[in-house]
Amino acid sequence: MATYDVHVIIENKPGISDPEGETILNDLVLKGTHSTVSKIKTAKMLKFTIKEKDKKTAQNKICEICDELRIYNPMVSKVSISVIEN
Amino acid sequence: MSLDPQELEDLTSKIGRKPSSTELQIVAAEWSEHCSYKSSKKHLKILPMDGPLVISEKGYDSGVLDVGDGYVVTAHIESHNHPSAVEPYGGAATGVGGVVRDILSAGTRPIAIFDGLRFGDIEKDRHARWLFKNAVSGIADYGNCLGIPTIGGEVEFDKCYTNYALVDVASVGFGKKENLVKNHANKGDLVVLLGGFTGRDGIGGSQFASDSLESEDRSAVQIPDPFIEKLIIEAILEARNQNLINAMKDLGGGGLSCAVSETADALSIGIEMDVDKVHTRESGMHPDEIMVSESQERMLLITNKTKLKKLQEICKKFRITCSVIGYVTSDSMMHVKKGKKTLANLPTDVVANANLLDRPSKKPAYLETIQKEKKLKPIPDYSKMMMKFLSSPNIASKIWVYGQYDHEVGIRTVVKPGNDASVLRLDNGKFLSVKIDGNPKQCYINPREGAIGCFEEACRNVVCTGAKPIGMLDHLQFGNPENPEIFWTFLESLQGLTDFAKFFKIPCVGGKVSLYNETPSGPIKPTPLVGVLGLIDEKPQMPQQIMNDDILVIIGNTKDEMGGSEYFEYIHKFIGGKCPVVDFAESKKNMNAVLSIIQKGLLKNVHDCSKGGLAVAISELCMINDIGCDVLLEKVPGEELDVDHVLFSETHSRYLLVLKQDNLKKLNAFLKKNKVSFNQIGKFDGRQIRFNKNSKNIIDLRVDKAQKTWINSLRELVVHG
Repeated sequence: MATYDVHVIIENKPGISDPEGETILNDLVLKGTHSTVSKIKTAKMLKFTIKEKDKKTAQNKICEICDELRIYNPMVSKVSISVIEN
Repeated sequence: MSLDPQELEDLTSKIGRKPSSTELQIVAAEWSEHCSYKSSKKHLKILPMDGPLVISEKGYDSGVLDVGDGYVVTAHIESHNHPSAVEPYGGAATGVGGVVRDILSAGTRPIAIFDGLRFGDIEKDRHARWLFKNAVSGIADYGNCLGIPTIGGEVEFDKCYTNYALVDVASVGFGKKENLVKNHANKGDLVVLLGGFTGRDGIGGSQFASDSLESEDRSAVQIPDPFIEKLIIEAILEARNQNLINAMKDLGGGGLSCAVSETADALSIGIEMDVDKVHTRESGMHPDEIMVSESQERMLLITNKTKLKKLQEICKKFRITCSVIGYVTSDSMMHVKKGKKTLANLPTDVVANANLLDRPSKKPAYLETIQKEKKLKPIPDYSKMMMKFLSSPNIASKIWVYGQYDHEVGIRTVVKPGNDASVLRLDNGKFLSVKIDGNPKQCYINPREGAIGCFEEACRNVVCTGAKPIGMLDHLQFGNPENPEIFWTFLESLQGLTDFAKFFKIPCVGGKVSLYNETPSGPIKPTPLVGVLGLIDEKPQMPQQIMNDDILVIIGNTKDEMGGSEYFEYIHKFIGGKCPVVDFAESKKNMNAVLSIIQKGLLKNVHDCSKGGLAVAISELCMINDIGCDVLLEKVPGEELDVDHVLFSETHSRYLLVLKQDNLKKLNAFLKKNKVSFNQIGKFDGRQIRFNKNSKNIIDLRVDKAQKTWINSLRELVVHG
């Protein structure tokens, strides 16, 4: 068994509006001098630490947890998962 | 998203050629059940819509009532059931947004929000809990951000909503009569789209709402943005004050397609528009997508060239985007272009008026036997059972829900949530009381009497605040209307509401029909919801603290009507029995009597008797006022009944009155003179809630224990499952 850090990023699906990101862009960043920024998207990140036999199992297990416990809503959100071995 | 073959044939013959792809999209959105009311429209005409206070104007999305002194109140009800069933937070929040814009489009400021929520069995079903929790957060976040108080509603749980949600939102607006937008347009006027960007979210939403959930692809979710909505409200009201708006409509189901065609049809004008002028969130959107996108927080305005500049300045000030997307023509055509290319060119009356259907109806077979009662299992310990009953999700206090809503903002809320109905102070010194009520359990057993019961209950609730009912909103929610048995229940409920409205001369000022509410295990129970608005000319009945020796009086007879009661369904797991029936004459007599007594200032408290029967209503008075009561069940007026029925029958037209001993004589004299059925049934005192019959104690609860259970159980259930 090894310990893995699994990072889960939850963000709105592409094409769905993201009021928070748009507000940060328009009312904060572009109000300054940072005119080279063209887009900001907000997301939520969960960092899991998990003991599993390999990287693949760790990823699958976290995936299962997120689906089963409705950590995100598949109707609205896109999820990306990355695994780092400790 | 498509038309059925018959509809395609109709469209082709009406326009005399094959429709283009954009035309098909536009017509499919507008002819969906959600937008066209094709199953229900013919029948809805029976509802009385006129009254001395009703102001009707073409193209209004909300009902308008004159409340005197140059002021008006507007009201509307909508649901967001399908979206909330797949994304409860966003679905419920955008539901609030939609109904608020309906109020705004008459030119009035939204001053209150109400919500009626229904979910599956949250005690056993984790998914139902998830839906419930998130729908409540969605409403709270959206309403609170807008600065509009959410002051009332109801919550109910029933197995028939498993894997589904009914999220009904009503809103009330207030303004000066002279500021109402008088929808009109002249040739050459400009069509402006104002507010949020049009994106790919919510494409095909209205079509989606007209299919059952099983068969669709679940893509039509909308993301709420209350801050844009707030800016829109302020910008529109400022534009209204400067008289810059000739006509206005909010964008809801069907997006631009519906807003443009319905506005043009209502005003008997044509509109030519260019999809390239619409401000979009992403580039490369297909024109068809732009026409049917249901992106939130958008309004369609008609103004003219001289007013445009001022309107643009206001939009700039509030930092909202507005685009001139087209202009008014006189040819009654809806002409959609992309640059120079024509994409659609249709007569507006064809688009806005789908062929109305005459659906077959048939009395459901289950109704033949449903009223038969089974023999109940004896209850070994009523006190123990009562504690369980008080903690059941439908009976328990809903403070976990309304505690999340800001119900004070706007400083109009005089009587706050947690009572029968909330009361708002209006600028002309009068008060407005509003309540929404539904009862699917009774409507399932008897769709007609059940619907009448919802109507009477909503009336009773506003009457308890001293308000006279002046208008009603109805929201008719049923399963698939293509099933004749379901359509029969729709017609029955509608007839019931119509009979009651006519007898009491309460006009229907607005409403909504939501069909195809089907869950994976079948149709929902018939769920008509009724909202009643009541007006108080002088002062409302403010609930006062009940003290020792105060007297409890009941008005109205208790009858053998336990069908669809919480007691049958929750305690005995039995669906069936005799549905409560409202006796119109008795109902009117009791209503008028209560209003007169309130005006005389004789009462400390008035509470209606409904869900859970007499036992729950009296316990609520005790728990809210933290005081005990001794109740003599043999004194309860009505036919001779056993203990279960006296305690838990949900007979309508009953009111509980609390008063000081000193006022009892006056009350007796008045009620006797008016031949109202009533009796003194108890006295408040001590720390125990006791129900006795012929000196035998039936229920004995400690107030503080009952209170703790009643107030906390719903939160416990949601938070800790």
